[in-house]
Amino acid sequence: MNETLLTIARKLHNSSRYRKAKLAIRDLLTNPQNDYRKYFDLTIVFLIVTSVIILIYEVKHPVPLWIEYYDLYFVSLVFAVEYLLRLWVVNDVSEMILDEYRDSRFLGKPFRAKKPLKKAFRQKLRYMLTPSAIIDLLAIFPAYRPVRVLRIFVLFRVLKLLRYTKSINQFIEVLKNKQFELYTLLFLLAFMVMTAGIAIYVLEERINPNIESLFDAIYWALITISTVGFGDIAPVTDEGRTISIIIIVFGIAMISFATSVIVSAFSEKLNEVKESRIIEKINKSESFLIICGYGQMTKMFLRQNHNGNQDYIILEKDSERVEAARRMGYDVVHEDASRTEVLQRFNTKYAKITLLCLTNSDVENIYITLTAKSISKKIEVIVRANAQNMVKKFEYAGADHILLPHDVVNNMIHIAITQPTMYKALHAVLTGKDAAQIYEIHMHRYSDLAGKTLSDIDFKAFKLLFLGIHRNGEFLFNPAPDTIIEPNDVLLVIGRGISLQHFEEIHKGVA
Amino acid sequence: MSVKNILVFGYGAHGRHIAKGLLDDGYLLKIVEEKEENYQRAIEDGFTESVRIDMSSDEALLELDPQSYDQVVCIMDDEHYNVFITLSLSSLFPELSIVAISDSIHTSSKLKLAGASKVIDLYEVSANRIHNILNRPVATQLLKDFVMSKTGISFMEMEVPKGSFLHGKKIDDVDFSCYDVLLVGLVDKSVNVHSFEFVTAGHEHTLESGDIIVCMGEVEKLRNFKKLLHRKVDLCREVKA
Repeated sequence: MNETLLTIARKLHNSSRYRKAKLAIRDLLTNPQNDYRKYFDLTIVFLIVTSVIILIYEVKHPVPLWIEYYDLYFVSLVFAVEYLLRLWVVNDVSEMILDEYRDSRFLGKPFRAKKPLKKAFRQKLRYMLTPSAIIDLLAIFPAYRPVRVLRIFVLFRVLKLLRYTKSINQFIEVLKNKQFELYTLLFLLAFMVMTAGIAIYVLEERINPNIESLFDAIYWALITISTVGFGDIAPVTDEGRTISIIIIVFGIAMISFATSVIVSAFSEKLNEVKESRIIEKINKSESFLIICGYGQMTKMFLRQNHNGNQDYIILEKDSERVEAARRMGYDVVHEDASRTEVLQRFNTKYAKITLLCLTNSDVENIYITLTAKSISKKIEVIVRANAQNMVKKFEYAGADHILLPHDVVNNMIHIAITQPTMYKALHAVLTGKDAAQIYEIHMHRYSDLAGKTLSDIDFKAFKLLFLGIHRNGEFLFNPAPDTIIEPNDVLLVIGRGISLQHFEEIHKGVA
Repeated sequence: MSVKNILVFGYGAHGRHIAKGLLDDGYLLKIVEEKEENYQRAIEDGFTESVRIDMSSDEALLELDPQSYDQVVCIMDDEHYNVFITLSLSSLFPELSIVAISDSIHTSSKLKLAGASKVIDLYEVSANRIHNILNRPVATQLLKDFVMSKTGISFMEMEVPKGSFLHGKKIDDVDFSCYDVLLVGLVDKSVNVHSFEFVTAGHEHTLESGDIIVCMGEVEKLRNFKKLLHRKVDLCREVKA
């Protein structure tokens, strides 16, 4: 027995085709990102929907034989195969047997296949007892025709659809948090129903014509305690009515308790659920901002984000500020940005992420910078520093841009003193309020302007003022008209946004 | 550039940083404080000219003679005080040009009402700097360098003198590039003293004496051009002719 199992296990282990097939099937069944997953899911959904339609139609109309066969054998067969495959890929029995064999050889004791088999069986059993596995199994049942009741199991096929909805999982997740309260409640309910049911059975079984069995009595107790009260069974004696009074009062109390437990569970979790939705949404974008901290600076930044073309998400750990941001309608997540797990939830691999550290604490900003850079060097970090002596530290931490609010103000005061006339215009340029702005025109490799001279471009016609070219990190101020434009040049112009748009529309390969 | 004097009200959290920055940029500062603690810190930080006064007394403010300074900056930590001092100063010296620093939108509008000629919202300008870094990184850095004359290229404002060759000429007719300067914009004296306009606004403007033109270029060339403005004849024309 042991020997035969061992040879089979060896054979399977050595067969690359078997292993490849198993891997492919496992991937198809368990990996949501599998290429063929979409078709697989669609097939299953189609089978379920047709099956339910047949069930409803059948109630009043006779159905053709082939449809009955389709429902009876084909759908059930597919589900059965799916169930078995799922069970199959739970674990690798052959590998477990071989492992056990190697271990026993190593220890020098006789090899017994029983132990790994037991372990494998336990794993399979554990899988079979999960809710989704049970639903899968029940969905096969309708194939057994003689028992009419089993037809209702077709509805379990509908439950199979739950696999495709995330919300149900979140719902269960939420209720799990209140497991203790809910179990207590359930136990109390069962206790009350049983007691009241037995009491009414004993008291009224002989008098009340509607109560014929203990099941009737318990059914009555449940209908009454839930305050549904169909009225098909009603107590006729004073004792019976007293019991009704007691369990009705108790029932109302219990229902309100249950409601409050569930509601509080949801209100506690609601924000978390919402936040994970926000993160999911932003991760689909290929370039976005993560703003750490919701303070004056962030408020101003978002206020200036007029056209809303930047996707962003705010991380804030102070719950009051989170509330304030929510009231303004911003996408905010109540998380501490300095924690690695928090930043890892974002699509750091594929998206172009720019992190704005705008909290008012330098220590925190440095920590966030380091956290981000340790996750991926690709994350661009723009950081707010509050003191000049912090700049070096931020540079060391790897911040790409360091911004000192006071420094910016100094610039403004400097302008106010040296260029009083220009102040308004420059202030407008620096605060992004006015129509006229300094713009960059980037020359791409295939730009139709590359290779031409500056005199070929009539900036005046576009109402743009040409300042110079930024080339390889150097700025050429007001170069001669015969200067040739090279690819990757950045032309600096002053003008209004619409002029720039017009310019970009006419010339190709510039942005 | 001659050394400019600045009178700074307030040496608190913001004031301290800004004062230090201005000192690094080569300005002469006088700090005015009310709180003993901040005053002491200013002295320790090397602002020996600092004074401690009672800000609510008009006599003390008059004594400071703010009009003799090139610029007055109000940057108290407490926004109430900041608005108050701005109001007192502008009521005492209606002609005084005051730069007030604010750290929220609400304060900004109050400071404007109180008579500050320029209000700089600390966070507004910083937030915009981020937008600029994100959207046009090159221009942002360069603009900052121009303003601080770090690259040797800067802005300069100059008045068109009487009898200048520019008088009566259209902008398009003048070849500024011949002087290695770039005309950025101008203030038309006849319209409004404070209405600066970029040349790209597209108005066919005829220059007159008294107009203020803003040019950009290397500092040396700009100074040279400023001198040449007094001439009656356009040098470049002569060369070409």
